[in-house]
Amino acid sequence: MKKRLYLELENCIGCRSCLAACTQCGGHEERNRNYVYDVNPMVNRQTMPLMCLHCVNPACARSCPAQAIQIHETGAVLSALVEKCIGCQNCTIACPYGIPKFDTEQNLMYKCDLCIDRTKDSIPPMCASVCPSNTLQWLTDEEIENKKKQFNLDNGKWVTSIPYLEGETNVKVNLPGILQGITKLF
Amino acid sequence: MQRDKFFKEVENVIHPNETLVKTHCAYCGMQCGMNLRVNRATNKIIGVEPRYDWPVTVGKMCPKGVTAYQQTNHDDRILKPLIRDDASLKGTKEGFREASWNEAYDLIVKKFSELQNKYGKDSLSVFSGVSMTNEKCYLTGKFARVALGTRYIDYNGRFCMSSAAGGFLRSFGVDRGSTLPWTDIHETDCLFIAGSNTAECHPTSMFRVWNVQERGGYIIVVDPRETPIARRADVHLDLKPGTDLALANGILNLLIQKGYADKEFINNHTNGFEETKELVKEFTPEYTSELTGVAPEKIIRAAEIYGKAPNAVVMFARGIEQQHKGVDNVSGYTNMALVTGKIGRPKSGVATFTGQGNGQGGREHGQKADLLPGYRKITNPKHVEEVCKVWKITPEEMPQPGVSAYEMFELMEQKTIRGLYLLCSNPAVSAPNLNFVRSAMKNLDFMLCSDFYLSESAEFADVILPSVTWSEDEGTVTNLEGRIIKINKAQEPIGESKPDWQIQVELAERLGRGKYFSYLKTAKDIADEFRLASKGGYADYYGATWDKIDKQDGVFWPCKDENDKGTPHMFLDKKFYHADGKAKICALPYRPPAEEPDEKYPLRLTTGRVVYHYLSGNQTRRIQFLRDMCPEPYVEVHPETAKIYNMEHEERVRLFTRRGEAIYKVKITEAIRKDTVFVPYHFGHEQSINLLTIAALDPISRMPEYKACAAQLEKVEIKKVQ
Repeated sequence: MKKRLYLELENCIGCRSCLAACTQCGGHEERNRNYVYDVNPMVNRQTMPLMCLHCVNPACARSCPAQAIQIHETGAVLSALVEKCIGCQNCTIACPYGIPKFDTEQNLMYKCDLCIDRTKDSIPPMCASVCPSNTLQWLTDEEIENKKKQFNLDNGKWVTSIPYLEGETNVKVNLPGILQGITKLF
Repeated sequence: MQRDKFFKEVENVIHPNETLVKTHCAYCGMQCGMNLRVNRATNKIIGVEPRYDWPVTVGKMCPKGVTAYQQTNHDDRILKPLIRDDASLKGTKEGFREASWNEAYDLIVKKFSELQNKYGKDSLSVFSGVSMTNEKCYLTGKFARVALGTRYIDYNGRFCMSSAAGGFLRSFGVDRGSTLPWTDIHETDCLFIAGSNTAECHPTSMFRVWNVQERGGYIIVVDPRETPIARRADVHLDLKPGTDLALANGILNLLIQKGYADKEFINNHTNGFEETKELVKEFTPEYTSELTGVAPEKIIRAAEIYGKAPNAVVMFARGIEQQHKGVDNVSGYTNMALVTGKIGRPKSGVATFTGQGNGQGGREHGQKADLLPGYRKITNPKHVEEVCKVWKITPEEMPQPGVSAYEMFELMEQKTIRGLYLLCSNPAVSAPNLNFVRSAMKNLDFMLCSDFYLSESAEFADVILPSVTWSEDEGTVTNLEGRIIKINKAQEPIGESKPDWQIQVELAERLGRGKYFSYLKTAKDIADEFRLASKGGYADYYGATWDKIDKQDGVFWPCKDENDKGTPHMFLDKKFYHADGKAKICALPYRPPAEEPDEKYPLRLTTGRVVYHYLSGNQTRRIQFLRDMCPEPYVEVHPETAKIYNMEHEERVRLFTRRGEAIYKVKITEAIRKDTVFVPYHFGHEQSINLLTIAALDPISRMPEYKACAAQLEKVEIKKVQ
């Protein structure tokens, strides 16, 4: 059954376990490929992960003059092929989320490949495997649909990213505010 | 096997030429399941893979857990015994030379014997820890009493779990850190969490905590700081550090006044209600607010939610326990569950977030000054006799009770204690009032330290013996649920390092006590003796065989025999462990922190942890990822307070108390009370916040009051001008 990475930003506790675990995926050369930000550190402890959303029509791949960024059949937007990448950094500029990182020593870009060695077999990526707060989850489309129903955000205050932010993405995101729609037990 | 909705069948990735070894994390009481990746060609640990099949944590790990494997083959490992001949270099890293095990053992035996011949058996002491297996904890207690024959043994749980232990013993007559399994937590309707920065200190509890809210339940958080969990709480009771008991009394009063007391439960299963009801009457929302600084309406709302909740769990941690009334705070919050009868059934109860990996098991089996295996008392002749039978000594040979961890340093200063065997602990960072503690360690005639890294405390040693990390030995630990689990060996010890139990057996042989130890040739041998020694005690592990632990995904104590599956839920029969089977509702008069702010020291200093470091930081500060994320301590200050002192974000300032001072970077944040400053305690030498903390001890648990003392801030530049 096809599963997707799903982000529930309200859950993030800023532990950065996702970044530590990213280095543990066999194909990642022990470098982490995503980000966790302190949203407003002098005010509160809110944090949020910024993961590659694996766009259906990815700007990084479109902007690559060397066609180094391939899209896997699962929809994962892979890291640039080492033999093709020319180090132009177009992708880092084109990505609306600022995801691709650049290795200035090797003159190569590198980015999240959704732990393709794992996710091609439906094994969750390292970040979602370890995430202690369930900010990052590995879910079926049905489970994501249920989330959508559970978090009814039609209160005029919050805007959800489901179905998508910029363009359609393989990763689904729920912005902070999901709890606004919850009916309390008592 | 308890498998809940978070459990998913997932196959692990096994890379070519690698083996996965199932085990648990090296660090906190969560004891998250993990697989260590071992390279089959080199037989070395090279990484980690989630353990999706562990029912408590289902593959989840915090950043410490993910990087824990990097400890094993770290460049800083001590590979051979080290001896320092020049005692004037104590307190520094200098002067150590490598030695053979024989030379080190000979020197230790010579020094120990000299001291004991000249000053008596009790001139030696053992200071241990609970970040090690039950087998090691058990043997350390036996080693002190039988091999060294000293009364002075205590451990770092005095700085961690002793108040929870004292409170539970008084309220329930038994000290099991959680009355229910963690797999119940997300199914309750209200979590009342006091003094626990859960998201940073026990992160892998968080998916269950958040799920309570996702289901429409409530989270109430008591903390002077707006921690990540407080930020999302339904009610955040932002109290002044050290005023928990007033809040507990205030909420209890409201629960009684508003009709949430369960009269039938109180009458049938508790003592002490009437007296307590009278005592808490004084704690009106207004008076409670005056003492705690929390708005009355928030206190009322919290009591209403907890009172109404069909099921609720009261949880707490070091925030309430590391006070000079820590035991009272524990019993005070526990009162809430006893008065409302929200205990002794699934999804309701009381739990403490155990700090160290084996904080639960390590305190039950004889490392504490007054305890013997199975939670037996050394002052109870019947208990002594039972243990003597297993140890094959006479009751006359059993030493008297000793003193608590901090008090041992007082005896070192007074030269009553002249020799120290320190293992599995780093008190030169983690003890309070460090100027005194460090000077006491320097004052020792001889100090032996066993560790796998050269810790700040090892810097005071004459001999350092290289011990192993958790991944190079096997044995059991008892996690924060009271579940006995199995740690497995993934790699042979590196260099010449040895597990502490082996060191103790070999030392005992050289001390002429071989007949009591020599037959213990493996960790399993110790496990079998230890289970027998605990048999009949109320922390009874006799039925928790390694085989059963493996088959059942752990065994909750008490587990009395082969057929006993263990006890995930405590008190389901509403029978408590006091002689009359009833729990005690405690009437607890409020007292303020030992040191209240005044004109000279107007701020309240509190300490705690960050998610990237574990305890004294001896392990985590060496891991690159964790060090990069939090390289140094800082002082959290509210912007309005910073303005009064004319301090800017990231400016270096002097923080001082009556006991000591340190320079810290200012971290300005609105997520803290205006009258409070916070510093994480994981750092050594001149960066240690424990240079400033107070050693006011709880009268029952002897826990120091780390969480509240009076402090002052000063700009560093101004001082230079003067």
